Amino acid sequence: MTVQTDPERTESKYFKRYADLAGKRVLEIGCGDGRLTWLYAKSAARVTGIDLHRDDLRVATIDRPADLEHKVVFIRADSIHLPFAKESFDIAILAWSF
Amino acid sequence: MVHALNEIRRVLVKSGSLIDLRPVLDRWPIEVTSKSGNHEAGRATDLPEPVADDEAAERAMAEAEQLGWFMRERQEVFPFFYYWDTPKEMREYIDETWNDVIHIEDELWRQLGTSWATANADARVRIRLKMMITGLRKQDPS
Repeated sequence: MTVQTDPERTESKYFKRYADLAGKRVLEIGCGDGRLTWLYAKSAARVTGIDLHRDDLRVATIDRPADLEHKVVFIRADSIHLPFAKESFDIAILAWSF
Repeated sequence: MVHALNEIRRVLVKSGSLIDLRPVLDRWPIEVTSKSGNHEAGRATDLPEPVADDEAAERAMAEAEQLGWFMRERQEVFPFFYYWDTPKEMREYIDETWNDVIHIEDELWRQLGTSWATANADARVRIRLKMMITGLRKQDPS
């Protein structure tokens, strides 16, 4: 069963118009397997992806390129209780999660 | 959901940005596509629970604005396609992955199969999701 998603890269085009992530600390809520994360992670200063699904987080961690290990972390957490200090992020992304 | 938005507001810096990117149910079109063009075979049926979820998300965003937590700066919709080589593959995926989101009537599957079988050799099938992206800015309520 082979599925191809968004080969037109429309999501990426729109996303980049909304988010100037260069040098920013980013919180991605509902990061899943990191599909969206990899579209922008290189330009961000630091990325924290959270999700409730352990299997997706495992895939995201496995897929994480070696050159991003120092700045992209994935954590199992709920958006109702974010385990972060006040004013920790410049940008938050609700990624297919509401 | 309002609680989640309040948490997001707490962890964002002053004037920080929130980007809300998500699919919105809207009877997504089911299409056959090939080099010669696209043909809509019909539309998926939205299931009640995820429709209610969409409405709840919108209400939460509106409430967060009314409370002065965020200001909506921009919002657009755009298409997001999922492609499969055959209707069978598409049906397997949708039955497995989206069976609690949308329903596709048997008659529509039949129409899709016929349209795909009689189309060009390069024909594939796809579903066109309606995506919504919203840019919001954190506010400091007075």
